[in-house]
Amino acid sequence: MARIEINGLTKEFTGLTALDSVDLSLEKGQIVGLLGPNGSGKTTLIKILNGLLKPTAGTVLINNMTPGIGTKKAVAFLPDRNALPEYMTTDQLLELYQDFFEDFNREKAEAMIADLGISTSQQMKKMSKGTKEKLQLCLVMAREADVYLLDEPIGGVDPATRDYILRTIISNYNEDALVIIATHLISDVESVLDDVVFIKEGRVVLHKPAETIREETGESVDQLFREVFRC
Amino acid sequence: MLGKLLKYEIPALGRSLMPLYIGWTATAVLLGLAVGPLSSTSDFMVIVTGMMYSAVATAVVVMAVVMIIQRYKNSLLGDQAYFYQVLPVSAAEHIASKSISALVWILLSGVAMLLTGLVIALFSGELLKISLPELFRALAELKLSGWLTVLLSIIALAFSITKSILGIYAAITIGHQVQKHTVLASIGAYIGVLTFETCAGRILFAPISRLWYRLDDLASFNLIMVVAILVSAALGAVYFFICRYLMENKLNIS
Repeated sequence: MARIEINGLTKEFTGLTALDSVDLSLEKGQIVGLLGPNGSGKTTLIKILNGLLKPTAGTVLINNMTPGIGTKKAVAFLPDRNALPEYMTTDQLLELYQDFFEDFNREKAEAMIADLGISTSQQMKKMSKGTKEKLQLCLVMAREADVYLLDEPIGGVDPATRDYILRTIISNYNEDALVIIATHLISDVESVLDDVVFIKEGRVVLHKPAETIREETGESVDQLFREVFRC
Repeated sequence: MLGKLLKYEIPALGRSLMPLYIGWTATAVLLGLAVGPLSSTSDFMVIVTGMMYSAVATAVVVMAVVMIIQRYKNSLLGDQAYFYQVLPVSAAEHIASKSISALVWILLSGVAMLLTGLVIALFSGELLKISLPELFRALAELKLSGWLTVLLSIIALAFSITKSILGIYAAITIGHQVQKHTVLASIGAYIGVLTFETCAGRILFAPISRLWYRLDDLASFNLIMVVAILVSAALGAVYFFICRYLMENKLNIS
């Protein structure tokens, strides 16, 4: 059974088709790159998987369940913006995650936070943008979830932080889990990807293992991306 | 999960109101002193402290309404929805937690108003003139029907507040179905909610309309309160189900 099964998924907004009959089947135990330029439909797809948007047509199954309370227990989501209550301190956020997510491993989160030197008594609103992103990532990756949905996890941070984020993703995800990284910064994530999905104008135009792409085309995923999405 | 939501929701709403309560108490102390021990010096102090007290009281009411609307809009339909809407919690629990915490803070604001009144009386020296034995005697004279009236009035007030909060939430949720101009759409939806409420209220209160002219009779008053509770519960339930239906089936976080 696929961890995520998507059939005929369509999402229309007023005067715009954001997703157009998307079919996708993703297995556990891999890191998948959901790659496409801005406005290609990546975030729309991630939002539908999280239940933040309702599809116009088609079906989505995560662990054989439609998005709802059951899937929210199994999915750890890192949004492309800070959505946590900014008035809370790191300690309070740890408690918040512990209260709501049964799979949250507090010791793991505390170790990551200590490793990064993030103050546990500082309010989030007083942290720098990079620190906020790292803290959010620590909280998300400290969950022992079945699916990790990471929307632009390395967008807007410095190269050192990018490396840390990618190391954290690789070293902390559960091997039975599925990790989806939605990004347009291909060269930075290419080395960690097992599977690649190209999404263009709301349609899946390619879905292959990263290694197969390199063998078949003789190009890196980044080079192929530049060709497929050439303006 | 409702208990866990309330654990965070009640303090979140109170963060902005607590400093205002403290300020409100401080102005009550000044007003009490101005009308009491310092009253012989000048009327100017009474006017100034009275204006300060009224300004803070208005700020508490405005801030409470603004915070209630903002908390709902931001955490369930705005940027923070990216966190709150992915919690393993049902839409009904989200709406209930917001309504309960809003009710708690509105009632606490009412209690704060009574307390500031007591503070004014205490510092002005008027409180000392109240005879406690007389007060207790007056309370003891309230018969069972009198206490029932007090209890029914409080319950009717709580139901009416909750209904009004849910009406605002329903209007905001309906407004968010429109992808552009959501604020304008929410205001339009709220006008619709008020119109619906007026029409429904007229129909539902019609069978007991003659009792409005007999409010001096406790039994009539109690019956009106019971009907008011039932009408508020019915309207509140309609608004609750509108919010829940839209959140479960038509959620569109942009």
